[in-house]
Formats: sequence, C-alpha cells, structure tokens
Amino acid sequence: MRPDLFHESILLLDGAMGTMLQQQGLAPGGRPELWCLENPEAIRNIHRAYIEAGSRIVYANTFGAYRTKLQGTGHSIEEVVSAAIALAREACAGTGAKVALDMGPLGELLEPLGTLTFEEAYAIFYETASAGARAGADLIVIETIADLYEAKAALLAAKEAADLPVCLTMTFEASGRTFTGCTIPAMAHTLEGLGADAIGLNCSLGPDLLAPLVQELCRHTRLPVIVKPNAGLPDPVTGAYTMGPQAFARALLPCLEAGASIFGGCCGTSPAYIQAVREALLGRQPGARPYVGGGFLTSSLEALPLSGVRVIGERINPTGKKRFQQALLEEDLDYILQVGLAQADAGADILDVNVGYPGVDEAKMLPKVVKKLQSALPLPLQLDSSDPAALEAGLRVYNGKPAVNSVNGDKEALARILPLVKKYGAAVVGLTLDKGGIPATAQDRLAIARRILEAALAQGIPREDLFIDCLTLTVSAQQEQAAETLKALRLVKTELGLKTTLGVSNISFGLPNRGLITRTFLVQALECGLDLPIINPNQGELMDAIAAHRVLSGEDGGCQAYIRRFAQAPQQEKPPETGLTLEEAIMLGFAEEAGRLAKEALEREDSLSLVENRLIPALDQVGEDYEKGIAFLPQLMRAAQAAQAVFEQVRQALAAKGGAPIKKGPIVIATVQGDIHDIGKNIVKTVLENYGYSIIDLGRDVAPERVVEAVLEKEARLVGLSALMTTTLPAMERTIQALKALPQPPKTFVGGAVVTPEYAESMGADYYAKDARQSVEIARKVLG
Amino acid sequence: MRLDVDAALFYMGAQAGAPASLRREAASIAQKMEESLSPRYVYRVFPLQWQQGGAYLPEAGLILPGSLARTMLGECSKAALLACTLGAEFDRRLLSLSARDMARAVIWDACGSAYVEAGCDKAQGELAAHFPGQYLTDRFSPGYGDLPLSIQPQLCAALDAQRRIGLHVLDSLLLNPTKSVTAIIGIAGRPQMGRIRGCAHCAFKETCALRKEGKTCAP
Repeated sequence: MRPDLFHESILLLDGAMGTMLQQQGLAPGGRPELWCLENPEAIRNIHRAYIEAGSRIVYANTFGAYRTKLQGTGHSIEEVVSAAIALAREACAGTGAKVALDMGPLGELLEPLGTLTFEEAYAIFYETASAGARAGADLIVIETIADLYEAKAALLAAKEAADLPVCLTMTFEASGRTFTGCTIPAMAHTLEGLGADAIGLNCSLGPDLLAPLVQELCRHTRLPVIVKPNAGLPDPVTGAYTMGPQAFARALLPCLEAGASIFGGCCGTSPAYIQAVREALLGRQPGARPYVGGGFLTSSLEALPLSGVRVIGERINPTGKKRFQQALLEEDLDYILQVGLAQADAGADILDVNVGYPGVDEAKMLPKVVKKLQSALPLPLQLDSSDPAALEAGLRVYNGKPAVNSVNGDKEALARILPLVKKYGAAVVGLTLDKGGIPATAQDRLAIARRILEAALAQGIPREDLFIDCLTLTVSAQQEQAAETLKALRLVKTELGLKTTLGVSNISFGLPNRGLITRTFLVQALECGLDLPIINPNQGELMDAIAAHRVLSGEDGGCQAYIRRFAQAPQQEKPPETGLTLEEAIMLGFAEEAGRLAKEALEREDSLSLVENRLIPALDQVGEDYEKGIAFLPQLMRAAQAAQAVFEQVRQALAAKGGAPIKKGPIVIATVQGDIHDIGKNIVKTVLENYGYSIIDLGRDVAPERVVEAVLEKEARLVGLSALMTTTLPAMERTIQALKALPQPPKTFVGGAVVTPEYAESMGADYYAKDARQSVEIARKVLG
Repeated sequence: MRLDVDAALFYMGAQAGAPASLRREAASIAQKMEESLSPRYVYRVFPLQWQQGGAYLPEAGLILPGSLARTMLGECSKAALLACTLGAEFDRRLLSLSARDMARAVIWDACGSAYVEAGCDKAQGELAAHFPGQYLTDRFSPGYGDLPLSIQPQLCAALDAQRRIGLHVLDSLLLNPTKSVTAIIGIAGRPQMGRIRGCAHCAFKETCALRKEGKTCAP
C-alpha cells in the first residue's frame, strides 16, 4: 500500500543528521549508522526534535548503510537498517510523521570513470532497499548523488526491491552541474522517466545559491520538487556552516515561488532551521509550475531538446558493412566507438545503435556497446533491435533517457515493447506497419500511428515520447509510394501532432547518382514536417541540406550555425607545399599526406617492402629522436598516427588483392587491478599497433584472472602490464605469478611510473620497458 | 585560472627544446582546458599537536608519521589539509581524446598536471591570506618521502572531500578523478624554508648557509 505523501501542498522534511551527531561527539571518520545500535536514545531524540519542529517525514539514520561501508563493523545491513527504521518509527508514533529509508551515495565512482560497475552498484542499493522495505519504511529517499548513473542504479534498485514511493535528490554546484558533469535537465528527464515520485536538490549549496537551479528543475519536470540545502557555504578555514535559521528560511522563499513544494535541510542545519522554515512557509503556496514540454532525449550529462530537426546517425549498424560485421564478431568495441565518434564529428545529434548480426548474442552485446559509446560520446542513443531481451539489457545500462527503435502497430509487438519503454523512461519509434505489412495508403498508415499513440498513452508514455516512422520505400521499385510516405508524414504531423522520424537513404536504392535522390527526398520530407531524419551524417551533402533547411525554417537563428559550417576552417598545421617523402610525412606526423603518399607508392611498390623498408625505419628514426630528447611524446604519437594512415592504405591494397592483413602478435596489454591511470598503457598501445602488432587492450583496473583468460583465449605470447603507484605493484606481481602458473606462460613486460628494472626482476617479469619505444624492441625480440 | 604552459611542456619531457609547433598546440589545448574546466579545491585548518607517532591533528583524527612531516611541520602549531581535483570532466575528455588522437591526449594529460598544480597554488594563496603575519611551509603530499599513502582516506574524510569536491579514494589508495592532489601545508610563526619547491622560492635564499656551501635542505 503506497501512502499518499504528496497531497499536501507543502511538505516538510527533516534537517541534518550527521551535523547533529558530530555535535554530540561522533568521531571524525566514525560510522553514523552504528549509533542506531550503540546510542539509540540520541538518534530517537534527534528524530523527535525534528518532528516537534515540524518535519512530516524523517530520514532514518541509514545514509551509508551499505554492505561496502559496514564491512568490518561486525554488523549486518539487516541489523542496522531495522534498528534505524524502528527508532524513527518510535519517534513518529502518534504524530502522523512518516519514516524514510535514507540511501546516500556509495562513496565509489561508477564506470566509466570509476571502477564500480553499474550492476554492482545496483546490487548494493538493492540489498539496502529491500532491508528497508522489510523493516517497514514508508518511503525510500535517495540523496546527495552526483552521478546520474548512480542515481539510476539506486532508483531502479529501490523500485524493484520495494513497492514504496521513491524520492531522489542530487547534489549540484552553482554552475548547474554535478561533480560528474550532469545537468539539471538531464537529471529531470531521466529520473521522471524512470518513475521517481519526487525529485530535487540537496546538499552542496545554501538555499540562496540553489534557487536558480530549482527554477530550472521546475521547468523540466512535472514531479513534486524537493529542496534540502545546506546552511550556506562552509567557512573555508574551519569547515563550519554559517547561515542562520532565519536567513535560511527566507532564502527558501524563491524556491517556493519557483514551484518547489517539499523542503528540508542538509549539512549544518538543525531543528531550529526546520522550525524557521515552517514559520516562514506558513500560509504560503508553491508558485505555478512553468513546465517546458516538447520532448527530450538525454545523454549521461546533457538533455537534447527535440525542437527543430535532429539528425539520427545510422552508421552503427552491421547491415551491408563487412568491416562492422567483423568488429562485432571480434568484439572490437574500439572500432564501433570510432564509427560513433565520426558521426558525432559530422554533426549527428542522436546515434542509432544496432548490433544484431548472426553469431552475435545481441542481449550481451548491446549493453557492452552502449557502455562503450557512452564512455566517450556525449550524444543520446537510439537502441535499435527487434529483440525485447536485447532492448531491455540495453535500456537497463543506458545512462540517461534513450529512444527505442522500434515498435509497430501489431498488438503483440505493442504489448512486448511499450512496457519496457515505460519502465525505463525511454522514447520510442512507432513504425506504421502491422501484421498486414506496410499499408499502401497514407490514411491507413495514419490509422496505425493513431493505434500506436493510443497504446502508448494507455501505458503512460507521454505523447512527446512517441516518434512515428511512416516508412520509406525504394522509389525505383514502388514509385508512387514516395509521395504516399510524404503524405502520411504530413497527416501524422497535422492530425496527431506527433514527432516524426524516417530512414531516408532507402529511397534511392538501385538508382544512379543516389545522393541526389536521397537529398531531394530528404528536403521534401523536412518540408512535410520530418523532425528526426535517420541518415548517414558522413555524407556532407545531406548535412548541408539540413543546415540550409534550418536556416530557411528559422531554426538556425541569425544563420549562425550555417555560417560556421561554411566559413573557412581554422588553420591547422599543414604540410609544406613542396613535396615531402613518405618517410618525412610519417616523421612529421602528417597523417593525411602520409596516407596519400602511401597510396601512390603502393601502385609501384609491394606492400610488405613498403612497411619493412620505409614505414618501420621512419618510425624507428622518430623513436631514436625521442630517446635522444630531440622529439617529444606528442610527436611520437603523431608519427604513430601517420603510420596508422599508411597501414590503412596497406590494408586496403591487400584486401583488393585478396591478401591477408599484416598483423603480428597478438599482445595482451592491461593496467593492473586497482590502478585507473591508463594513459601510459594507451601510449604503448598506439606505438605497438603502428609497428603492425595486433593489440588486445583489456583497459584499466584489470584483475589477474581476466589477463589469464585473455591470454588463453587469444593464445597471446606476450603480455604488457602497467602500474602507476607503489600500492598497485602487488597486483602487478599477482598477475605475473598467475601467468607464470600457465602450462605455456607468455613472456611479460612491465612499465609505469614507479616500476624499475629491479622491481621488474623481483616480480618475475621477463622484461622492463622504460617507455613505449622499448616495448617495441621487446615485441621484436619475442614476436619478431 | 591560468595554467603554466612551460610546466605542461616540462611534464611532456620538453622544456626550452620544444619545437614551436608543439608549444603552439600545447598553448591551444591549455586554453581549451582553462575555458572548459576549473580546478575544485577544499582546504581546512587544524590545530597540530605532537605525539609519539608523529604530528597529530586531533580534529581530523589524523597522524602524520615519519621524518618528512617532522621536518616540514616542526615549527608549526597548525596545519592545513588541502585537496584539489580537475574532476570527472578532465577524465572524460581524456578518454574521448585517447579514442580520437593520442598526441592530443598526451598534451591534455600534461596540461592537466600543470593545471591541478595551479589550483593548489591558488588555494595556498587563499590560505595565506587568511593568516596574515604567519608563514606557510611548502606543501607536501602523501607518498612524498616517508609520508605514507595510507593516510589518504583519513585525509580526504577530514576534508569531506567526496561531498565537497567529488574526490574519491580507491582501495588501492589512488585518487579518483585521476588528476587530483592532496597535500599538507604547515602554518608557522616564522618564515619557512623552501624545502620542496626549492631555493628559488625560499624566504632564506639570500642568506642561507647551506646554499652558500652548495647544499639544500630538501628532505
């Protein structure tokens, strides 16, 4: 039974717990949660004082009651949480006040920047949330979260562990971002989509500095908004909070005017603050809520308003792309990321992600690809699959609010897909087809769109989160259908007022000069109201047409983006006009020039000789200059990148002749467990790759077992390990020992800031590499 | 806040010898860094006592064992703890650059090292302004000399660094976000020697007896 907590127009929470405990003698670094067991009277009294001051919801003393934080205390989560809830419950008795299970941050950064996985974070939150439900909490509050990914893990866990209302507040800096960079709109659209009951801001700032952020939040959510600020900013010298109760209460009034309705205090506050807030808010009402509709998708940091034309990049898709299929089969996520980065650079706003291919377990691959793309790309994704299990796996780990591609008008498809869309707070593409296929007339497609809309609304999906795809058919095969698609698009726009999407390129299949047909159709569709064209953004002429459309429709105010697009590109370091040799182009790091010269050379020269006699000696020369201190690390990297351009030409030349690619190795490399600095390892990887070695890069914080696994699977004969700190050397040694225990141990080389030749020897490594250059010599010795 | 491009070039192993094109590129990346992120820092001043295990900050529940702390804080009645980080944005861009262009990634990384030091300098300047007529020691960090890394968790807890600036300590005692510094700065009643930053920054550089003999007081 879910209590109706939010029917009152203004709801008062409590103030700080930690501050009160410190005043009563909690030692620095002590675990506040243990006071529930060791000093229950103090906790009960604090709750009582808040209730007497006016709190209608008190937060039980469970802020850090997690498996990871209670480890070594001799107390279980169950024990601590049930004691905490019971104390709060006793304090509430007879007052009508409610008890919240309080869940703070886990204290570890999540992937991709930290080492805690999303799934591990979820499991820790789940344990505490279910203990809270069993102990009889009335609701769950999640607070002081800085990372949207952690917020999502906590919210999903809370909702799946208990049938209780869940409130979530995050902590922002005055800049409007959290420490991890999340913005207020991204937070609001993601958490509302995931089904939070109320959201808001707590900690980090005083109410005066929070007010503009609260205003922004109220523009981006329909949920009740919570404000639980600190008592001003702490004194930098003493750490003491300085804003008094009256000033605190007064400074909350602009938040009330902005539309917030749930108030409390965080660090530095006490019952006196809550009482002052109660008195200040007495008889007042929250201001009107200025919600901005219109639809949004979000990345992990930013919200993308779906106003105007937004380009969905279609290239992350194996259909008809040999190289991409190979990357999927080899699980080459770096390549898939490159395809994403190229589209982002070309101006895509959203990326469609399709990894369905025979031999690929889509439900395993889609979440991996989503995580990889989100680690380096700030764009929202559209998860594209016909497999509901894959979609759910992808939706679960997506950080932000994604789109789903797609559902259609078939009843079973709607019943399968829409509940997932609702649960994970996504937007969804609705295809105007059903069991009967694609209707021939615009009217019939409109009817299917209407059916999809009704099903979405019934499921609780807001209409701005539905994008209708009226389906492009190939004009050379069904010529009359081009006009019908455009007509359907216009109808959906005018009759239903929904956003529209369309895969455009299909129109020109089988015709000469495809680009012209595709571009013309794109322009026609934009004119009919297409919002979300799905195209290849690397085709400059399509992006040009969209840039022009944005000018003519008025979306590109002052033609600024258009002018930027066609203005002279900024001057880059360019090769001199006079002809460089291939070797010079590599040594000076001019990748484009090196690629061009290699292509020319390959018309006369055999590819193996080009690599052996020209590329490698040029790289060696840069390496020697680097050792002598004449060239520096960035130059070494740039030469390596120029070499990569040469290798690309060699690969193409070989592929054209049907030859096998030149690849030596593989070499497995990793930054050892516990270590998160991987630039050194990445430098080694770049250099080795451009000497033609195939590299299996396991990343950072890699457990010994994973290195062993990779060596066995790839039959690697050489392993490189990197460690930055003395504290991670033991992990390096453990990894070497585990490799030595194999029946056919690979050779190992080690490097990193604190590694010395002596350490390397004592750990049992075969080689010590003082820099990337030496790793090449080691690879030559071991692998040739 | 400005970052010192020479320092960044130094971290790349290039100083005066850096070619003009590398210097230009480093300056342009440094400018991007200054525009897109600022070091966040937090510091707090604690009374200092001496006990058997070393310097003791009772309000922080922190003991600073070893001879480095003894030498550096010998004349101090208070010490400030300081933490500074470039935050997650630095790491995110490093990740993204590493996928696009390793040459720029290594320059970004070196600029980050210079920038986090600039953040520490700024915090130290602020701290000095809070104590007119008193003198700061050079700052020193866990992992320097015999000051163990193992004090990192307590140091960060005393500053509430996770909540205040988003700084985390891993089980391996590394700091995350990666471009972060923690440090200790002593506050004394008389001028302090430039034991870590070197003679050029020392209050005694004109009169130092050690220096006349060609020696330094570096621990």
